[in-house]
Amino acid sequence: MRLNRKFFLQIFFILILLILGWAILNNLIINLSRTGIGFNFYWLSKPAGFSLAEQPLRYSPSDTYAWALFIGWINSLKVIFSSLVFATFIGILIGFARLNKNSLIGLISAGYITVIRQTPLLLQLMFWYFVGFLNLRNNTFLNFKHLINFSIQGIDLFGIKFSSEFSALLFGLSIFSSAFIAEVIRGGILSVPFGQWEAFRSLGLSERKGFIKIIIPQALPAFIPGLTSQYLNLAKNSTLAIAVGYSDIYAINDTIINQTGRAIECFIILLSSFLILNLLITNIMGIINKLIIRSRK
Amino acid sequence: MSTKINKFKIFFLSKIKTCILLKPFSFFLNILFLSSIISLLLVSLNWIFFKANWSVINSNLSLFAFGSYPPNEQWRPSLWLVVLTFIALITIYGPKKKWLRKNLVFVWIGTVPLGIFLLKGGFGLIPVMSQNWGGLTLTILITSCSILFSLPFGILLALGRRSSLFVIRKSCSFYIDILRSIPLIAVLFFGQLLIPLFLPYGLEIDRVWRAIIAFTLFVSAYIAEDIRGGLQSIPKTQLEAANSLGLNKYQITRFILIPQSLRVALPALTNQVIGLLQNTSLMSILGLMELIGIGRSILANPEFIGQYIEVYIWLAIVYWILCTLMAFLSKQLEKKMSTNKGY
Repeated sequence: MRLNRKFFLQIFFILILLILGWAILNNLIINLSRTGIGFNFYWLSKPAGFSLAEQPLRYSPSDTYAWALFIGWINSLKVIFSSLVFATFIGILIGFARLNKNSLIGLISAGYITVIRQTPLLLQLMFWYFVGFLNLRNNTFLNFKHLINFSIQGIDLFGIKFSSEFSALLFGLSIFSSAFIAEVIRGGILSVPFGQWEAFRSLGLSERKGFIKIIIPQALPAFIPGLTSQYLNLAKNSTLAIAVGYSDIYAINDTIINQTGRAIECFIILLSSFLILNLLITNIMGIINKLIIRSRK
Repeated sequence: MSTKINKFKIFFLSKIKTCILLKPFSFFLNILFLSSIISLLLVSLNWIFFKANWSVINSNLSLFAFGSYPPNEQWRPSLWLVVLTFIALITIYGPKKKWLRKNLVFVWIGTVPLGIFLLKGGFGLIPVMSQNWGGLTLTILITSCSILFSLPFGILLALGRRSSLFVIRKSCSFYIDILRSIPLIAVLFFGQLLIPLFLPYGLEIDRVWRAIIAFTLFVSAYIAEDIRGGLQSIPKTQLEAANSLGLNKYQITRFILIPQSLRVALPALTNQVIGLLQNTSLMSILGLMELIGIGRSILANPEFIGQYIEVYIWLAIVYWILCTLMAFLSKQLEKKMSTNKGY
């Protein structure tokens, strides 16, 4: 009897979903046929016709849409992984500083975290781009024997040039994410029982040695879930690149929709590319997690 | 008495010791940081009071607050903002009357329809099109509407994800996982593009409402996960107790599960609200005139060209105050909702 009720409830739910889906699909088909666009992916092999400022591989406007999307995908990966490294580095630094006994350093890092966390990322990105880089005009801000060169063209590091859009995005994303990563690090270290601190002190280890040898290894597994979710957030936040004019996967999808009007196909492409990206990040973090657990045995 | 003084002495001596005497490296570091902070402060104060040109903010204050709302009708959004501030103050200082304290949540919910009515007009007020809404009012309106709609939706999703029915469980987790894997800007952009395509021909929703729908769909997935965390934290004994009292499934959900999980999830929910408030800024990319959109349009005005720093710092201060206020409000709410007040 009870099983029957459950069964009918599920059937009912499926029916509702089907009716809803059918209504939406019906409206979609009517609207698409009215605009005369239709639904197919043949346009991917047609020439794109727009130029890209940022091209890690060779690209010209006569190349196909598919190639443009691939370039955007590579641009996204480039900015995500480079800001991921920087964000982790700054985040660890700030997280440790927050726990420092020196109250001044703790205060500075607490201030940094609230200011960064309580203002929108978009505002910070616009700040780094319009104030940070475009305000430099042509005179260079920091020119250190041609090793590092900050200018309106971006950063020139040992002769490798990074565009100002990329650099602004890198700065904004890594600083924004670092504040969140700092909180993850702090939480992880606080999760180690206080007895461990007392134990290594009573064994006569120095503060630094005990922190590195005793506390950090125990806190590492606690970092991983928080770090994974922050990295996923960073990957999703990187789509704000469009605000500073960096051509990542979302910006290129946006351009293609404006050109061809193929919103649904582009939505599917964007969805699948982010699913792949999420899987990539979660799997890499899963491998790191396994390595950490194995090293503890 | 003497022990007190002694304690005082020891306390101060240890402070001085930890600060200066024992660690020369730390002392040096402190001096370095302090001097750099002071010099930075001096430079920025000098810039704020002497170099910056704040006329870009002063002359556009009404734009920042109301957007291009008709000047004769601006008392309506300001009335709404005043009501909101008033209720926030009541929440912080604690209402004296018991019925008000009990129904504070409903008062907060009631502010949303009030705001929509005041902004939109009708029923005796002159109607104002949503294209003219803007500034701080629009930011707060989008935030409050989306939260109001996404909270029940998120609770339903969270309950659905723990349901014993296979189909409901799978479809809820599918929805949550998909929505959590796409970036917000994509959800908003495709919300603007696709919602008209999904609706029957002739039925149109304006931009603000499309944005609110997209925000609701997005945030409810995140809220569902937070509430699921709250649901999982409820001990099994609670369910057993409820069952032994003879409550049915609906009563258990309504009186046992939801209130407790909401209480546990409150800090996480606050973070979602703060994140949502910050993320409404993304609508400026898609052409809505909320705070940052207004800032962008003012910067595009030839009269104020190049005054990026002033506008951005002003916007950052506004957002910072709003977010900090929200965090503070939720701490107060947490205290009021806490069960350990004594019996």
